[in-house]
Amino acid sequence: STTSSQVPVILADSREISSGSEVISCLKTTHGVNVEVCSLRGCDYIVSNRLAVERKFQSEFSNSSNRSKLVERVKHLQNLFERVCLILEKDRVKPGETTRPFQRTKYYDSTLSALIDVGVQILFSSSQEETAGLLKELVLLEQRKHAAITVPTQVTGHKQDELRFYLSIPNVSYVTALNMCHHCASVKQILNSSLAEIAKCGEISDKKAEEIYRYLRNPSD
Amino acid sequence: MAGTAVTPVRVGASAVPYGHAIGNEKWRGTELAQLIQGKITLVFEDGLGLVDFHLSNRACILYVSEADIVAGNTFRRRLVRFRKACSLKGITIVEKTRLSEQYFPVIQKFIVLELGMVILPVTNKAEAAQLIIHLVQERSRERLSNPFSRKKSHQLREAHVLQTVQTIPGIGKVKAQQLLQHFPSIHLIANASLTQLEAVVGREIARNVHMFFTRT
Repeated sequence: STTSSQVPVILADSREISSGSEVISCLKTTHGVNVEVCSLRGCDYIVSNRLAVERKFQSEFSNSSNRSKLVERVKHLQNLFERVCLILEKDRVKPGETTRPFQRTKYYDSTLSALIDVGVQILFSSSQEETAGLLKELVLLEQRKHAAITVPTQVTGHKQDELRFYLSIPNVSYVTALNMCHHCASVKQILNSSLAEIAKCGEISDKKAEEIYRYLRNPSD
Repeated sequence: MAGTAVTPVRVGASAVPYGHAIGNEKWRGTELAQLIQGKITLVFEDGLGLVDFHLSNRACILYVSEADIVAGNTFRRRLVRFRKACSLKGITIVEKTRLSEQYFPVIQKFIVLELGMVILPVTNKAEAAQLIIHLVQERSRERLSNPFSRKKSHQLREAHVLQTVQTIPGIGKVKAQQLLQHFPSIHLIANASLTQLEAVVGREIARNVHMFFTRT
C-alpha cells in the first residue's frame, strides 16, 4: 500500500505532448508529480489503478458533431476503468483573437446531464495550469484512498512482450497491464491464478478479475 | 425545525414523477421558478430543508448564488450538512459570474474533491433554468436511452483470443490457430509441456512459447 510520502505518479498519453505540453510541464515542475508519457491507447491520463481522466476543450465538447466520438471515448474508458473523470478546459485564446462568448446549448446541457447520470465526474478548468492542478489533486486523493500507481511505469526486456500480451486482453487498461507485469513473476503464474489472486495482482475489482479469468480459460462464452 | 436540518425522506420526495421537480417553498414566485415552470412541472413543498429542488428519489439540487459566494464561506456549511445528512446525489448549481468566478476553483475543489458532489457552473438564472429542465428531462428518459450507459461489449471472444495468442513472440495467425486447435484456451497453452507443444508447432516455436510463459 502507498504512503503519502511517495512521489505521485501519473501516466500521460503521448498525444498530450502537443495539446497539453503545459499541463505536463506544470505537473512535473510545479507539482512534483512523476509523469510517464507513453501511448495509452484511448486515454489521456491515468492517475491511479482505477481512475482515468479525459481532457477536453470546451469547444470540442460543445460541438454536437463530435457526439458519437465522445460517446465512443467515454464508453471505452468506462470499460477499462472503474472511475472516469472529464476535465473541461477553456480553449486558449490566441494572441490577436477575441474570445467568443460561450454559447450554451441544449446539446451541452443534455450531454452534461447524461454524463452525470452515469457517474462520470466532471471538473471545469480555465487553463492548462489549472488542469495540472486538478490532476495533482486527483492523484493525491487516490493516494489517500490507497489506489495510487505504485509499480514502475516502464518495462524492459522480455517484460515488454508480457505487457503486450496483457494489453491484448479485453478491457485491461495500461495500468492494469503494468501491475500484472510487475506483480507476477511469470505469465504462467497469472494464468494459473485464482480470481482473488488476479484481482490482487492487477489491482482491480473482483468483477474485472472474473472477466479476465473467464477470458483466459474459455475460448468462447 | 429538525425537518430543516435533514432532508426529510418522505413519500413525496421518493416518488417524484417523471417530468416533475419538487421545489423548496422559498423559490415560489422567483424568476428562476417562473423560467422553469411550464417546461417541466414544478411543485412547491415546505420542509425541504437544505435542498432547493428534488429531481428524483436519487438526486437533488442545491443552488449556490453569486450572493452566497460573495458573502463568504457560510454556504459551505449547508453543503456539508447536506452531505452528512443523506446519501442523495447532490448536484450543486453554482453561479459563476464576473463577480464570483475568482472563487470558483476553490469552490469546485471543495464541492467535487472534498464533498464528492457534482458542480455545474451557470452564468445566470436563465442558464440555471435550462440546466434544471434538462436534468429533470434526463431523469425522465429510459435508462437505456442514455448514450453513455454501459452496455456489455459483445465482441466475439474467439477473435480476441486469437489476437492474444499472436502477441507471443514468433507466433503469427497460422501458428496461433494451430495452438488453439490443440489447446483450446490460453490457460491450456500456458500449461502445455514442451513436448506437447513441439508436437503441434515444432521444436523452435515450442521453445519460444514455453519460455514466454515460464520465464521470470
